[in-house]
Amino acid sequence: MPKLDRPVAAPPAEPQALPDQRSVLADRRASRFARVEPKGKRVFTARERAEMLVDPGSFVEMTPMRSASPGAGSGVVSGWGTTDGHSVVVVSHDAAVASGAIGAVMAEAIQKAQRFAIDKGYPIVYINDSGGARIHDGIFALHGCGGIFALNIEAQSRIPQISLILGPCAGAAAYSPALTDWTIMVKEQGQMFLTGPDIVKAATGEDASAEDIGGSALHTKVSGVAHLEVDSEEDAFDATRLLLSFLPTHKGGAQKRHDPVPANPHSVAALPTLVPEKSSIVFDMNKLLDGVLDNGARLELMPEHAPSILTLFARIDGHAVGVLANQPNARGGILDSKASVKAARFVEFCGRFDLPVLTFVDVPGFLPGTVEEGRGVITHGAKLLKAYVDTKSPKLTVVVRKSYGGAYIAMGSASLGAHANWAWANSEIAVMGPGGAVALLHRRALKEAEEPTVLRDELAAVYREEVARPYLAAEAGIVDDVILPEETRDRMVAALRMLTHGSEA
Amino acid sequence: MHLARAEIVSNVWKIEAREGDQVGPGDVLAVLESMKMEIPLVATVNGHVSRILVELGQIVQEGDPIVEIDETAGA
Repeated sequence: MPKLDRPVAAPPAEPQALPDQRSVLADRRASRFARVEPKGKRVFTARERAEMLVDPGSFVEMTPMRSASPGAGSGVVSGWGTTDGHSVVVVSHDAAVASGAIGAVMAEAIQKAQRFAIDKGYPIVYINDSGGARIHDGIFALHGCGGIFALNIEAQSRIPQISLILGPCAGAAAYSPALTDWTIMVKEQGQMFLTGPDIVKAATGEDASAEDIGGSALHTKVSGVAHLEVDSEEDAFDATRLLLSFLPTHKGGAQKRHDPVPANPHSVAALPTLVPEKSSIVFDMNKLLDGVLDNGARLELMPEHAPSILTLFARIDGHAVGVLANQPNARGGILDSKASVKAARFVEFCGRFDLPVLTFVDVPGFLPGTVEEGRGVITHGAKLLKAYVDTKSPKLTVVVRKSYGGAYIAMGSASLGAHANWAWANSEIAVMGPGGAVALLHRRALKEAEEPTVLRDELAAVYREEVARPYLAAEAGIVDDVILPEETRDRMVAALRMLTHGSEA
Repeated sequence: MHLARAEIVSNVWKIEAREGDQVGPGDVLAVLESMKMEIPLVATVNGHVSRILVELGQIVQEGDPIVEIDETAGA
């Protein structure tokens, strides 16, 4: 074999030296999407949570490769998907990365999703599981958290925002939910606090557990910081989907319409005799609502906080509506500071997203006294009046038994702009209840009477018939009409069709 | 010991429970009068009534204990 008189070329480089972009991407994806075992009571990863919330297979992650440090990820899984076919943006804290602490990069990723939701008009769900601002990032973390808050506030006038609390959420991870519309907490798993037990102990010496400072029992019963307590993450996702089913995707978006469903026939049959004639006897307002509203899905918010007023989403004639109702079964159905704040917040939300507000009134009044005045009941009650006046969506009000004084005005009265309002035939509307009224009006006669209680009852009966009956209000045109209980649903349905211009489903 | 407490500032209008009574969730222990409403105070636990802590006509504040129930002696 002849010897070649020239240098032999080096063998071609091995194929693996040239990067195969497909396998590089595959490796990148494998490492980025590797399942990091959740810590603590958590069962699901941030991405699994986002995927569970939305319709199966619909989740698309935004900027999945974004990283704060190589391979670590941004600390958040953000993207979009659908619930019941409607688009929704999802932000899911990744507690596997630095306990979900919000650093500069994570904050940018969250803000990107917020901006997208605001600009495109989609509801946004924040799945919170974060210890708060990332301490290493210093001012950059604070600035990022502040940016999230600012967008939370901008979003308020544009899109519904829902926060889920699935782990211990401190600082910024607790504040952002407070700037959103509805907060749902998983029992014995989610907490919200300014700072956790260790910092509390160091700051003030108080010895308290995470549940004591920020558990779901505290926030859904006492503080009112959160609006629903559920048993599991799955329940939190179900509740979120149910909540979204009542809401438009954005301000000015189409109201959700379903096929009309008749009210529960048993409740309809019971309605005419449901409310006790004697105005001092309590009853369950839920049973009254059952006889009027569509017999379908409902979602009561804040069921255990200020239970003397009910706030729930429901449907009537297929229209999604907000329902506000006094609950005589709890504290006699009075309005106090907490009930006023709860009610005002609900009405304000409905107004912001053009949901009709149905108000069912049986209220003995605002609770007076040192405790309530000290809590600022005047200021808080005023918020309810403002919420009704500011709300331009259809407002329908029915007085089902009694409505006295300032509470009459506050409960969606004609003066506050109710578009249609009725009173049941047995109802009483007056400045105060008959007993109190005659005690003031006939003070001298009662003082001189031989049997003052007998005289008082006689005078009260006269007052009830001559002053408090709803016919005076109807004759004055302040109440549109006096109706029977069984006529309520049809009246409301007709009014809603008229007020929504008979808008198609 | 479980304490059934007033849920609202009110006066004690009726006391339905007697010391030694067996009670269970939903049983009316007392009726409180506030804002011209008759507000029942119902038991939320099983047990027997060990003490009545108020008198008829007494003014009670929100959170005041009304009836003490011994849960250990429950049925």
